[in-house]
Amino acid sequence: MKEYRYMPEVKRVFQCTVPGENIRQVFLVDGVLQESPGTQNGITLSTGPEGRGLKMHITGDHSENPLQIISVRSENLPEPLEFTNTWELAPGAKAQIVVCDHTLKEHLYQTSRYSHITLREGAHLDLLFMQNEHGRSRYWLDLDARLYKDARLDSHILSLYGGTIENKVKAHLQEPGAVCNLDGLYLADGEQEIKYNIEVRHNSKECQSSQLFKGILDNSAKAWFEGLIYVAPGAQSTEAFQANHNLLLTRDAKITTMPQLEIYADDVKCSHGATIGRLDEMGLFYIRSRGVPLEQAHLLQQMAFVHDVLEHVRNHAIRVRLEKMVESRLRGEFSKCAHCTMHCC
Amino acid sequence: MLEINNLHVSIQDREILSGVNLQVRAGEVHAIMGPNGSGKSTLAAVLAGRDIFTVTKGTVVYKGVDLLALPPEERARLGLFLGFQYPVEIPGLTSVNFMKAAVNEQRKYKNLPPLSSGEFLKLMRQKMAVVEMDPSFVGRGVNVGFSGGEKKRNEIFQMAMLEPTLAFLDETDSGLDVDALRVVANGVNKLKTKDNAFVVITHYQRLLDYIVPDIVHVLNKGRIIKSGSKELALEVENKGYDHIINAT
Repeated sequence: MKEYRYMPEVKRVFQCTVPGENIRQVFLVDGVLQESPGTQNGITLSTGPEGRGLKMHITGDHSENPLQIISVRSENLPEPLEFTNTWELAPGAKAQIVVCDHTLKEHLYQTSRYSHITLREGAHLDLLFMQNEHGRSRYWLDLDARLYKDARLDSHILSLYGGTIENKVKAHLQEPGAVCNLDGLYLADGEQEIKYNIEVRHNSKECQSSQLFKGILDNSAKAWFEGLIYVAPGAQSTEAFQANHNLLLTRDAKITTMPQLEIYADDVKCSHGATIGRLDEMGLFYIRSRGVPLEQAHLLQQMAFVHDVLEHVRNHAIRVRLEKMVESRLRGEFSKCAHCTMHCC
Repeated sequence: MLEINNLHVSIQDREILSGVNLQVRAGEVHAIMGPNGSGKSTLAAVLAGRDIFTVTKGTVVYKGVDLLALPPEERARLGLFLGFQYPVEIPGLTSVNFMKAAVNEQRKYKNLPPLSSGEFLKLMRQKMAVVEMDPSFVGRGVNVGFSGGEKKRNEIFQMAMLEPTLAFLDETDSGLDVDALRVVANGVNKLKTKDNAFVVITHYQRLLDYIVPDIVHVLNKGRIIKSGSKELALEVENKGYDHIINAT
């Protein structure tokens, strides 16, 4: 397996081992692109306003060659940072993008990212966000995606670690045949807080959307899930589904979930469901009765709970790695990793 | 191997077992029969360590150890197995991963290294053959979408994987058609050795045609009211529990 080196010029060199020979890595340090703008294999990279953020235009089929965008906060810029990414997939383009966000120091970083995504006719984007900072960081993502005829967006957001994480996702299904699948997994413990605000707007007829968001909250962690499916007047033959399931491990953990449907068309298939539960006592006894200790039984049940969200990640190598990361996160190993804020091992 | 003395068990102040005495030796097969609500499943669950029950009196010694003092996983590691009457569904956890965790915990306890993936899969295939189980089952969620018969077959498969020294099978025969019953019973018979023991809890004499017990017990109102040879099961079948209850 090829090993990828993080920025040699960043003092604390570490290695990113997201596997795969075909991964192309693009670095942003404090929102600044670390390579010269230009076009390579149909992918054009440039910087956004005021030299920050990433503008990207993609043509052609890149579905087998993931693009990893590694966005790092460094000690050079402790102030709150805000930047905008604008990504566009040309008609028929296909891409797989993995976004990894890290902080290099345990500083009270506050980062706001705006991402505008446009998927032209028949474009497919598989998008994965790894939100993995430290217990005192503030992470803010505002994603706005527009899907045109027969375009498809598969988005997976994994909120693994961070002081406060806020994800605002708005998907606009503008023309018939657009398909939008949004998944999310949020794991929080201690005093961490995670907010999801999801809005899927069916502005056109004959579009499909589904949402699957799952969370596990431990200690005094808090999470909010607001999910809206909007079906515009005339958006007939819409299929839209939403599910939000939560596992609370303690009495102090809190989840507020607000699934909402707004439907102004009459030929639609829509559903939403939300659950809040605890670990299953009978299931735990069953697992323990086969010789598995309580702690491991807890872990198996939590891994079983998040299984379907991870299963939706199509890239096998990345999925296997995510499973390992989620497992070590649930074992509580992240918080023990005091000398490093990357949580990537 | 197992010695139960004057075991009293309650749930929420209601006494379910009122002085059970039972001895099981290596190489034996016991059958426990009894009317609904007599405490059969409670006995099995208490021995496996289900904590919703309170033991108010009595002792259980297994392999010289005070069994009641141990958490469920330690009982399992000492070779105790419970075949569940209602096996639990665990969506998202595959049988492969479940059994891998269970087998490797057991090996850790015995100071053996964990099995490699290849060794483990070989073992799984071998044990699946014991219960004529479709290999596609192991990649699915534990018991999820299984029919009643498949769930029971899966219990016997797990037992084959863990090779317990003492297995309680709680109504493993209920809900099985004749063919599934034969497969499950054959599974048990193949696993039987002179060093292990089985306690089969059942309502029906039918199972005992396939798994021949050395001793049959009749449990009623939380006590074993009669023990005898396998003919006792026939007596139950022909004359009913009332006849035996009235005669004691």
